[in-house]
Amino acid sequence: MGTVEYIQHHLTNNTIGEGFWTFNMDTIVVSFLLGALIVFMAARLGKKLETGTPGGFQNFVESILDFVATNVRDAFPGHNPLIAPIALTIFLWVWIMNFMDLIPVDLLPYLYQLITGDSHAYLKVVPTTDLNTTLAMSFTVFALILFYNIKIKGVVGFIKMFLFHPFGKFFVPVNVVMTLIEEIAKPLSLALRLFGNMFAGELVFLLIALIGGTLAVGAAALFWAPLQVLLDLGWLIFHLLVITLQAFIFMVLTIVYLGMAHDEGH
Amino acid sequence: MSQSDKKSPNGVRKETPPALNFLLMGAGSIFTSMLIAGFLVGYMLDQIFETTPIMLMVCAVLGFIGGIQKVHKLTSKLDRVEQTERKDD
Repeated sequence: MGTVEYIQHHLTNNTIGEGFWTFNMDTIVVSFLLGALIVFMAARLGKKLETGTPGGFQNFVESILDFVATNVRDAFPGHNPLIAPIALTIFLWVWIMNFMDLIPVDLLPYLYQLITGDSHAYLKVVPTTDLNTTLAMSFTVFALILFYNIKIKGVVGFIKMFLFHPFGKFFVPVNVVMTLIEEIAKPLSLALRLFGNMFAGELVFLLIALIGGTLAVGAAALFWAPLQVLLDLGWLIFHLLVITLQAFIFMVLTIVYLGMAHDEGH
Repeated sequence: MSQSDKKSPNGVRKETPPALNFLLMGAGSIFTSMLIAGFLVGYMLDQIFETTPIMLMVCAVLGFIGGIQKVHKLTSKLDRVEQTERKDD
């Protein structure tokens, strides 16, 4: 298999259906399983909570909860009991979906190909390298932004925001288009940033994997194989930072955008 | 997070919540997505009013202006943070 085919093969989703109704099954199944994993772990931990001195895992989860709660308190004006759980869910889910990036790029597709017996079966294991996932999440956030905009400001206030927002009352048509652009840019920037970062990260992992695949032939392997290990380790450590940062940014921006929707004086 | 946050947690933090730093980090993607959103809205309006390609161009320019305006607004907040830091020193 050539290098181009290798990369293309890894970046193609396992799909069902055609045209508009194409379902990326690997994205759906993996993200659902990871979500279920979070729910399962949370439920298991919830059953045996200790009030005295918590164990290691409980301590760890409590520190994450604390971290998210601090961020919500800092970035969110006013009070809404829904925001912190949303922020926590987004942070954990995005993080664990991003984490799939750190599993060796060929491992899960190879296992899948062994199981199905089809040596050309596609499997893209990182849900966040699929634009559909990130757009779905950001549109959910967008729906919440619209909902709270209308709920807090009222329908009249919401329309006023569209009519008079950036340039005052003499440029109403421009204002409408401008606010429309501004609102649409919010979910777009959320989705594209996460997708772009994860996709690029995955691509770099694939390129590093190719070092071993194409160059390490015969005695050259003595040089290229250790280099691949070194590069992979370096990128993995750096990427661990990136996935955490991306999950964190997605969470913080969600809080900030929802905070803007709650801000009446805007 | 800036040093002034640690020095006076109540006073300065209200003006510059730490989340702002992450908004700043996204300034680049905010700018590009404003441009993309401009194109999208323009395309949509063109489809509705059958004015291809006038609205697309107008909205792209508007998105560009809006993007610059937003980035400018974000970075001018940074100026304020620096000023308060200088006062603290």
